[in-house]
Amino acid sequence: MEYNPLWALSIFLILIGVLWWFFQPNKGWFWQLKKQSRINEKIIIEDILKQLYHFETSSQKVDMKTLIQVLNYSNHKLLEALNVMGIKHLISNDLNAIKLTESGREYALRIVRVHRLYEKYLAEKTGFHKTEWHEMADSMEHHLSHEEADLLADQLGHPQFDPHGDPIPTRSGQIAEILGTELHLLPIGTVGHITHIEDEPEVIYKQILAENIHIGSLIRVIESNPTRVVFESEGEIFKLAPVVAANLTITLLSAEGDTQQDIARLSSLQKSEKGKIIGFSKEIRGENRRRLLDLGFVKGAMVDLDLVNPLGDPNAYAIKGTSIALRKEQADKILIEKIES
Amino acid sequence: MDKKNINHIIQLSKELRWQIGDDFHDHLTEGIYADAAQIVNDSVRLKNGKTTNRLDQKIDAIVTSKIWGFPIMFILLGLTLWLTIIGANYPSALLGHLLLDTVHPILKQGSEVIGLPFWLDGFLIDGVYLAVAWVVAVMLPPMAIFFPLFTLLEDFGYLPRVAFNLDHLFKKAGAHGKQALTMSMGFGCNAAGVVATRIIDSPRERLIAIITNNFSLCNGRWPTQILIATIFIGAVVPPLFSSLTALLAVIGIAVLGMFFMFASSWLLSKTVLKGEVSTFNLELPPYRPPRFWKTIYTSLIDRTLIVLWRAVVFAAPAGAVIWLISNIEINNLSIAFHLIQFFDDFGFLIGLNGVILLAYIVAIPANEIVIPTVLMLTVLVTGIDAGVGQGVLFELDSASATGAILREGGWTLLTAVNLMLFSLLHNPCSTTIYTIYKETNSVKWTTIATLYPILLGLAVTFLVAQFWRIF
Repeated sequence: MEYNPLWALSIFLILIGVLWWFFQPNKGWFWQLKKQSRINEKIIIEDILKQLYHFETSSQKVDMKTLIQVLNYSNHKLLEALNVMGIKHLISNDLNAIKLTESGREYALRIVRVHRLYEKYLAEKTGFHKTEWHEMADSMEHHLSHEEADLLADQLGHPQFDPHGDPIPTRSGQIAEILGTELHLLPIGTVGHITHIEDEPEVIYKQILAENIHIGSLIRVIESNPTRVVFESEGEIFKLAPVVAANLTITLLSAEGDTQQDIARLSSLQKSEKGKIIGFSKEIRGENRRRLLDLGFVKGAMVDLDLVNPLGDPNAYAIKGTSIALRKEQADKILIEKIES
Repeated sequence: MDKKNINHIIQLSKELRWQIGDDFHDHLTEGIYADAAQIVNDSVRLKNGKTTNRLDQKIDAIVTSKIWGFPIMFILLGLTLWLTIIGANYPSALLGHLLLDTVHPILKQGSEVIGLPFWLDGFLIDGVYLAVAWVVAVMLPPMAIFFPLFTLLEDFGYLPRVAFNLDHLFKKAGAHGKQALTMSMGFGCNAAGVVATRIIDSPRERLIAIITNNFSLCNGRWPTQILIATIFIGAVVPPLFSSLTALLAVIGIAVLGMFFMFASSWLLSKTVLKGEVSTFNLELPPYRPPRFWKTIYTSLIDRTLIVLWRAVVFAAPAGAVIWLISNIEINNLSIAFHLIQFFDDFGFLIGLNGVILLAYIVAIPANEIVIPTVLMLTVLVTGIDAGVGQGVLFELDSASATGAILREGGWTLLTAVNLMLFSLLHNPCSTTIYTIYKETNSVKWTTIATLYPILLGLAVTFLVAQFWRIF
């Protein structure tokens, strides 16, 4: 064939297009096929078990219809899996509701345990972004045995809660209780900690992350009505729609006087002010937490703003005689008490 | 202790762990750190109450100010590069004269006297010796100027401020502000730039800095860019503007390299590297007068000589290969000739030619010998008489004479533009590849760092060639 630049160019572009179609992140054919080929009966059964467990803990009744709505499998496959589950005595099939048997609950608990442990692992030991934890744990939960889960728990120091604040069951099935109320149900003036951030549905979770709300933060409700919920935390004001607020669980403070009003984020420190470090947010995890401690950001240390960046970020803070630059999202998660100088 | 007791203790510890709760570890470590801080407070006395130096604050206020911060940075970087490129010319010419024009003929005469066979003489003296001598002559002077200058700035304490000023831009690409420094170091030598990434202590950002360091034009590539821009790009405009245009073209390529560095950093941090742990911290140490002689000494020993040694080790076999492929003949034609014919069609497709592709393959060990190899191969293919033997590397004193040979070899403006692009976007030299492997200890990242730029380079030159021919 005679060379023609137009032809060469079109062939190249078509080639790139095909490659992109195959390998584009998440939606690419290659990944879809890979995902499809992994799905088998075991995975469907485990997904059903997990769903049943979640429904049970929120004391809802489950029938075929709800399962079909929640799980993304064909009716045929679901029926087949339920059939097998019945034979294996994982569920007792009532006429109007599907219930977990004792051995079924145990199995489900293991799946939940692996899922939450793995989320904790991703948060502490890797650099994956928060928004990716859930999906990765969703595929990992089918692959770890009891022994491997124990090993993971050992490495992570036997955590009781996953990074969203959900309790992680122990191997023997012990599970910590979340005592708390959803944010939109709280009366005005309530003070408490955020102990749980629900990561499903993803749309709402991303909204919460975009608001820069951190788990563990102390909050005070300022306004609550059907159109919006307003609360104050760490010196900042947050406004949320009630649907979004419902995904935050707040544990009320038991003791009075624990309600420090003058907590602020390090990022809000101005040039003329001085601050005293109170602590870190729970969102600073793993390696990041250790580095900050190494650099001298410890409870009680005095800090002031040393240099403002010409581009706005990062700013340098003077601490213990040296100047350390921190990015805004780090300074957001260090809590200080402002001190008049 | 009997077994029953041990089990009891384990059981008890499990229960207690449950009761203590989740925050225990964090509180404990934070408590230890806070106690340590308290002990320091109680026992260390500062002479004067002030902890920060007033002069430091004044310097910082200028070098990180909105108005002066960026101009100062660009002027210092420009000055360093200018000093390196201009300043290296004289010692390079001197070394070239000594090693290539004086020692080489003496060696040739010597081998004739002791009666070395033709092939051994060619293999050792025209092949191995000449390639090594070339690398030393071109590489040593710029590195001996660039690294001490850079280290002086580092020692003074200015470089962390550069990282501070630029971090916001690098953060948007998923990288660390200190990558500005390793990138600048790459303008001297990519292998040294890769070693310099040790200052980045966050695993993800360090890998990004390592993989994208190759997009900084190194000392071995600046002369190529300048030569080709002078011959071909400068000739497009009236003579009055030709040197300015050539200079702008070279700067344009360097800036394009920075663009690819940012784009690739972003891409890497969003795809293959997103699982690596990412942290950030940047200490701004107090300024201090640089320790001049110590700096000169350590930068020469630690950076210049180590890198030079690695380059020499890799250049020697390359010289041998170059001589061999142009002197061993199959069907009365040298291996080089066959290879060039083989690569010619593909070379044409991406706006280059077989000579350039073969030169880039045999010159993987050192970018410094690309132009001599191209000239030698062009002479070999076209049959021009350049006054040297077959397979002997050479370079000409005048740019116009070099241009004449290259045009004879079929070069056009497109070839020149694409060569400049390809010189920016191709695999790192073998010294750098080896250094990347030493630093990452991973075949995976070394492979990615090697293949990614060459694929990018092939795609870019291909696209430029097609659009050039269409319009």
